[in-house]
Amino acid sequence: MLSYEYVKCTDLNQVFQLMDKGEQVYPLAGGTDLMVGMRGGKYAAKMLIDIKGLEELKVLKEDEKGITIGAAVTLNEITLFAPVQKNIPILADGCHSVGSYSIRNRATLAGNICNASPAADTAAPLCCLDASVNIVSSSGTRAVPIGEFFTGPGKTALQKGELVQSIFIPKPYPQAKGVYSKASRTGSVDLATVGVAVQSWGNQVRIAVGAVAPTPVRAVSVEKAVNEKGEKDWANAAKLVHNDISPITDLRGSREYRFHMVEVLVRRGLEQTMEV
Amino acid sequence: MSEKVNINFSVNGDQETREAVVGQTLLKFIRDELHLTGTKEGCEIGECGACIVLLNGKPVNSCMVLAVELDGQELVTIEGLAKNGELDRIQQAFIDHAAFQCGYCTPGMIISARALLDRKPSPTDEDINEALSGNLCRCGAYQEIREAIKASSKK
Ligand SMILES: Cc1cc2nc3c(=O)[nH]c(=O)nc-3n(C[C@H](O)[C@H](O)[C@H](O)COP(=O)(O)OP(=O)(O)OC[C@H]3O[C@@H](n4cnc5c(N)ncnc54)[C@H](O)[C@@H]3O)c2cc1C
Ligand code: FES
Ligand code: FES
Repeated sequence: MLSYEYVKCTDLNQVFQLMDKGEQVYPLAGGTDLMVGMRGGKYAAKMLIDIKGLEELKVLKEDEKGITIGAAVTLNEITLFAPVQKNIPILADGCHSVGSYSIRNRATLAGNICNASPAADTAAPLCCLDASVNIVSSSGTRAVPIGEFFTGPGKTALQKGELVQSIFIPKPYPQAKGVYSKASRTGSVDLATVGVAVQSWGNQVRIAVGAVAPTPVRAVSVEKAVNEKGEKDWANAAKLVHNDISPITDLRGSREYRFHMVEVLVRRGLEQTMEV
Repeated sequence: MSEKVNINFSVNGDQETREAVVGQTLLKFIRDELHLTGTKEGCEIGECGACIVLLNGKPVNSCMVLAVELDGQELVTIEGLAKNGELDRIQQAFIDHAAFQCGYCTPGMIISARALLDRKPSPTDEDINEALSGNLCRCGAYQEIREAIKASSKK
């Protein structure tokens, strides 16, 4: 059995003290990445800090500025939150694509982005919504745009001693259709082989793709063709996604398959969201 | 040596205080400490659903939870569904519809199904698919399981 310390915190300052002091200290949210990772030897944790009891992290609210999702809120809670369903259904789709119903009763949005898998299902939708990540530490708070949060596979902009407090999705909302589609080996309980988020904003589009580069990335070449050059042939536009990605071959699919599937899913996404 | 801590929790309606070893999963704790062996161990990585229990009324994979996280929470395992020697409606429906072959997935399936019927008394096929998305049946009894759930729903 693995041996480490476990501390359940109810006070943010206590979290900071423990995180500042120790090495190999990990915040524990739903544990669905940590438990697998510790068993597989990815994390050699000396201490887990259970953050689920912190009131500051349980916030799930909408106000005049936008939607705030605390780091202890589960994916199922987000999917059921009416302002998310109504205004940013693409995020509900992304959350709903993670794992299975029982996994989503534990897994959090913050955990999904902090784990920073290139295939994280919530990442591409967040990238289409101009989300930002609110980070706290003993030295204060800062907000990082989601596009700058991911720095590599499993790597984020978080510094030692920093905790994600919440994820913020600003108004104005898109007021238009968005879809998240995922190619995976099984209908549920598998990471994306390719994940594609397409969000229309009137006659403009935002596209982000996952599992085809070291981090989730925006398909800027496609966006440019559609938004600036007025490309209306979605099949042509979708081909350009190849300029924005650098997929690898792994157990979920080959590099070639990913090149193919990402183009297909971008084309379908454009067809579904953009009026002809 | 692994650290031990005292935890207070309720299991199938009874309040308990026990020692839990830090690092032990809730699944191992349920089977090896509480001796409730209805909850099954399959993959231990969250993929099969054999270990699903109700934590504060919600189905979760007990292999993905630490025993120490049970402190202050409410646990229901498959042993907690029957009341006064009488099977829960959904348990009886699984028998009536022969919704299993080997039975290994059954405790997890029934827990997921019970939780579904509690939140949606008349579930659609889509609701059933979602609720069971984390439950694998290697014997492929899915059709009978679906029928058992439909038979237990409010008409
Ligand atoms: C069977 C199974 C299927 C899965 N399927 C999918 C899938 O389809 N798509 C997908 O994207 N993911 C999938 N996952 C991965 C996982 O469920 C998600 O990434 C989940 O959202 C992680 O959230 P968590 O709360 O469980 O994170 P945890 O495991 O608690 O934490 C993950 C990491 O983030 C850190 N962390 C957590 N919270 C914070 C915080 N507030 N601040 C700083 N660091 C923090 C932790 O220390 C850890 O390093 C699956 C996992 C399993 C077990
Ligand atoms: S043993 Fe927990 S999901 Fe398989
Ligand atoms: S009955 Fe054998 S695994 Fe489902």
